[in-house]
Amino acid sequence: MDMAAILLSLKLALWTLVLILPFGIWVAHRLQKAGKSKSWIEAGLALPLVLPPTVLGYYLLVGLGGKSFLGIPLVFSFTGILIASLIVNLPFAIQPIQRAFEAINPEIIEAAQVSGLSNWQIFRLIELPLAWRGITSAAVLTFAHTLGEFGVILMVGGAIPGETKTVSIAIYDKVQSFDTAGAGLLSLILLGTSLIAIAISYGVFGRQASRNQERGS
Amino acid sequence: MLKIKLSQVTPNPLQLSLECAPGELHALVGPSGSGKTTALRTIAGLNNANTGSIECNGELWFEANEINGLTTSLSPAERSCGFLFQQYALFPHLSALENVCIALYNSVAGIAERQAQAKQWLNRMGIGELAHRMPNQLSGGQQQRVALARALARSPKILLLDEPFSAVDAPTRQGLYKTLAELRKDFNIPILLVTHDLREADLLADRITVIDQGVGLQTAPPQVLFQRPRNSRVAELVGINNKFKGVFTAGKLTWEGCNQVFEVIDKGKIPPNTPVAWVIPADGLSLHNKSSQTSIEGYVEQISTLGQIAVIQLLLNNARHTLTWEASVAEVMRLELEVGKNTHVQIDGSKIHIMPLRPINDPRRFIS
Repeated sequence: MDMAAILLSLKLALWTLVLILPFGIWVAHRLQKAGKSKSWIEAGLALPLVLPPTVLGYYLLVGLGGKSFLGIPLVFSFTGILIASLIVNLPFAIQPIQRAFEAINPEIIEAAQVSGLSNWQIFRLIELPLAWRGITSAAVLTFAHTLGEFGVILMVGGAIPGETKTVSIAIYDKVQSFDTAGAGLLSLILLGTSLIAIAISYGVFGRQASRNQERGS
Repeated sequence: MLKIKLSQVTPNPLQLSLECAPGELHALVGPSGSGKTTALRTIAGLNNANTGSIECNGELWFEANEINGLTTSLSPAERSCGFLFQQYALFPHLSALENVCIALYNSVAGIAERQAQAKQWLNRMGIGELAHRMPNQLSGGQQQRVALARALARSPKILLLDEPFSAVDAPTRQGLYKTLAELRKDFNIPILLVTHDLREADLLADRITVIDQGVGLQTAPPQVLFQRPRNSRVAELVGINNKFKGVFTAGKLTWEGCNQVFEVIDKGKIPPNTPVAWVIPADGLSLHNKSSQTSIEGYVEQISTLGQIAVIQLLLNNARHTLTWEASVAEVMRLELEVGKNTHVQIDGSKIHIMPLRPINDPRRFIS
């Protein structure tokens, strides 16, 4: 079993989650007040959903190659695939949180304003707790999607063991070298991890829904 | 003292000027879309008007004019308004106690102290035992009491009530009226109530401002408003059914379409031969079985019974004018009124109120 690939995938998924969630919350919150430019920003953020991974990977390869925008080459490195993962996951991280913020009744926010809360206090005490389901959903989707990401990672990172060779790339490599047993095992692990992540998310929501029903009775 | 002067054309027209003294309950009444809620939201700082000013206890909350634009606009948090929303707007993820605590967040230090004060407020509203329930575990009336506790917990300088009783059932509404009446005694602050229910405004308010299309048409105590509406539109909005036309000359009103003349009290402001609209309030009408020199014969066209109240529609023989008369069912039985039967109507001239017929674009109709 390719433990290095499994650990690398987990490391990538966790780093992606840690970096993208605060950014996703900030962007989703700001988008509520975006004016005429909102549709264009939303379209830009949704692009990774519709672009073929090879197209996105190509642009990232060009953008991160040479000295890149950070002044150092980022392709074929963990930092490179992390940046690629962050970009690919933007719609998965932002859209559920944005929908959750939009679902908050504007009167609730106004009630908080007339109750004397500052904008930051309203965000922290009212909006964030009310958008919690959307944030959880975004976290689960981002985590599961990062574990399974293949095309863009391969284009930007190649398959350097311990550095850029994630589980999905390891599965591809094993299939190419006719190691079907190894590929099957890794696929099973990926399937199980994704299933558990989504089940946890549904479990949280399920408990919340049943609690709400109890409260309503 | 709350002093408001607001003016704007777009997005919603608003032309309103009013004052509300501490302890006064002032109702803003008008049909749906008349701008009542816009006015209330502007006072709370949730909207801004194009021009005007809002002053509370000498402190300027909002000021804007055509020359300098917006010069002062305090945020809703800085204005210290208690605001009661029609649909309560409780924070759904917080318990009743925590909802009230939120209003104390910046004024009271320490969670324990905030909770103690919030509990006192809930006790005062009679729902102390429900402190740990979530909003969706409370009835409409209980939710409105939590919302009222939250609105008052900040010790606001004014209390704004946006149709607060329209979403609750009648018995709950009666309970909330009682609570509001008790609170008025304890809080010496201006209270503005937005409602489309005239009976509610009549019951609760010291003064009423009638609003139509964003324009404040008249401000007066309820009795004055119902008996002496400023113009024909106000009469219509306050639900005066018996509104007619006539010509007024030196204390005499000639009813349009017939020779009926009434002696009417006036202040000498109306020029001779002025076409006027006139109204007669319910207490200026009486029905009799026998005719008199001044009575008018009428034919009972329709009787509608609503509980213990009967609404009788009469077709008068003078010029086929239709008159509506409200009475108790017992009174209808005493007079032996039946559809198709004739009766005699007495109109008390001293109760007649006349109003100039002004075109809708006459700026004077906006003066309140």
